[in-house]
Amino acid sequence: MAGPIDAATFANLVEMTGGDLAFADELVDTYLEEGDRLVEDLDVAASAGDVEAMVRPAHSMKSSSLNVGAVELGALCRALEEDARGGAVDDPVGRANAIKVGFAEARAALLEERLRR
Amino acid sequence: MTPPAGDGTTQPGRILVVDDTAFNRLLLAKLLRGIGHEPVEAEDGSVALERLRDAGAPPIDVILLDIVMPVMDGYETLAALAADPALRHIPVIVITGVDELDSVVRCLAMGAADYLPKTVDPAILQARIASSLARKRLHDAEREAIDRQAANNEVLAIMSRSVFDLQVVLDAVVRAALRLCRADYGVAYALDGETFRVAASAGGTPQLDQWERDHPIGPGRDSVVGRVALLGEAIRLDDVLADHEYRATEGQQASGYRSLIGVPIEQDGAISGVLALTRNEVRPFTDGEAALATGFAEQAAIGIANARLLATIERQRGQLARFLSPQVAELVSSPEGEALLAGHRREITAMFCDLRNFTVFSESAEPEEVLGFLRRYHATVGGLVVELEGTLEHFAGDGLMVFFNDPEFQDDHAARAVRLAVAIRERFAEISEEWRRRGHVLQVGMGIATGYATMGRIGFEGRYDYGGIGNAIILAARLSSEAKAGEILIAQRTFGAMDGAVPAEEAGERQLKGFSRPMPVYRIDPSGSGAGETAESAEALPAAEAS
Repeated sequence: MAGPIDAATFANLVEMTGGDLAFADELVDTYLEEGDRLVEDLDVAASAGDVEAMVRPAHSMKSSSLNVGAVELGALCRALEEDARGGAVDDPVGRANAIKVGFAEARAALLEERLRR
Repeated sequence: MTPPAGDGTTQPGRILVVDDTAFNRLLLAKLLRGIGHEPVEAEDGSVALERLRDAGAPPIDVILLDIVMPVMDGYETLAALAADPALRHIPVIVITGVDELDSVVRCLAMGAADYLPKTVDPAILQARIASSLARKRLHDAEREAIDRQAANNEVLAIMSRSVFDLQVVLDAVVRAALRLCRADYGVAYALDGETFRVAASAGGTPQLDQWERDHPIGPGRDSVVGRVALLGEAIRLDDVLADHEYRATEGQQASGYRSLIGVPIEQDGAISGVLALTRNEVRPFTDGEAALATGFAEQAAIGIANARLLATIERQRGQLARFLSPQVAELVSSPEGEALLAGHRREITAMFCDLRNFTVFSESAEPEEVLGFLRRYHATVGGLVVELEGTLEHFAGDGLMVFFNDPEFQDDHAARAVRLAVAIRERFAEISEEWRRRGHVLQVGMGIATGYATMGRIGFEGRYDYGGIGNAIILAARLSSEAKAGEILIAQRTFGAMDGAVPAEEAGERQLKGFSRPMPVYRIDPSGSGAGETAESAEALPAAEAS
């Protein structure tokens, strides 16, 4: 399935939490709020060329993105986390930007899903 | 898939979720609640440790731990947990991504119990938590058993150490019951007449203790202690305020206790006290806690029984001491006593003392006068015997026998016997002077001998004396008969043994009844006897045999 959010994964998340849509909304809101901060952290670290400081935000972004079904975004974060852990990141600013764009697309898709209900 | 509901197979636990990502904490907390557990959240290791070490917070059963966190990460947290004896038993489940297997191995090596993938499956979460919870519960049960055993041992040790101090025993029992039954206040009440009074308490304010002391409780349905007394069984009140028969006292109002338990302290099937425990919140005492409290009440009962037994023995010993010499009374009620009473061979010094002219005196004086004299004489001599720690074998009318070095060892037994004789002679002179003014001449003669004798219980079932059999005793009796008024005659061996403690002179060899050869005899301190004149008066009267 194309699109930034894998519908099956997201549906599984909602089902896992007992089909509680209000809770799903709360969870998504938390993801988005926290994501803004993580994207910001990545930005700052990338601009400063501080590769080590990119590990934690990439790691956190990865796990929550995979949980909400943002599979591609999760993959981007995983790759960045691994490189940053290894100490060498090609074009850190570009990779941080790619994640920022991916997160924006995921946000739009998640909010759209909510409106469709 | 739908998470299995918190059914009977899942024991609810309190789970600490340690993750810096709010999203993960929110999700895990929701999943945990869905399977019946109570989540507690912490955003990093240091916050988690703070919560775990907070003695006032309810205990955590399992920790779900993220690895990558700011401030204090998962590894540091695991190391800190392992280093803390109070925390190292709490199972830790590490939450990790599927691509982080290296870190999983590292965490397991550091003491983590298990691991969970980040993309959580509720069924797996439930199974893993159930297994860790079971592990924690087993540990808790083990620790509780050890705790109970330790508390029991402590009380038993105090009981054996402080048999003579009931207060110490009751204090220890109440303290242990309070701690193990997780109560806020504990009291051991003892039956005093019709009411139960505070005998020991723990955990309360001085004001509450005072209030309880000032308000003894009688049997009745309006109090737990009263109900225990009435029904003779353990009583539990889950909430005193919800019990329509319970009358809330000022004590309850002051301390605000809500859950209560009272168990009887029984002696021979009768209630002699009540052990009561209270909690300042509505948290009913469990069956296990009731069983524990009953165990402590039994220990209190043993303590009370011991104290009563001891009081009885003390009382009997006191009564015995009025009939027996203190040494023999002590012997009768001591554990070593039985062996000594059965008979033993010992070197002793025996002293006999009897009155000259007593027969004449008792015939010529009024019976009341005779009794009055004997009382005075016995009191005087008895006091001196006690002072010199002699063992009085008997008073027989005017005669008496005392021995030394038995049952108590006395290195200077010969000298003690001689000193006793000298003291009796001096004090007797004062008494006899009074009677002489009334026309009665009374004098003492004494004999002392040292040697081996068989000492122990002599007599028959129902009437035993503590006494001895041996030549020294016979010799002392003969010397006493041989002695003139005011004279103290001692055997050669006594003379040697006392080693000049009191001046003595040779008094020749005497042929004594029962002894085949003449025996060398010594006379004690004739100058100090003051006997010159009285001896004459005594000789002027017909010689009286010792009665």
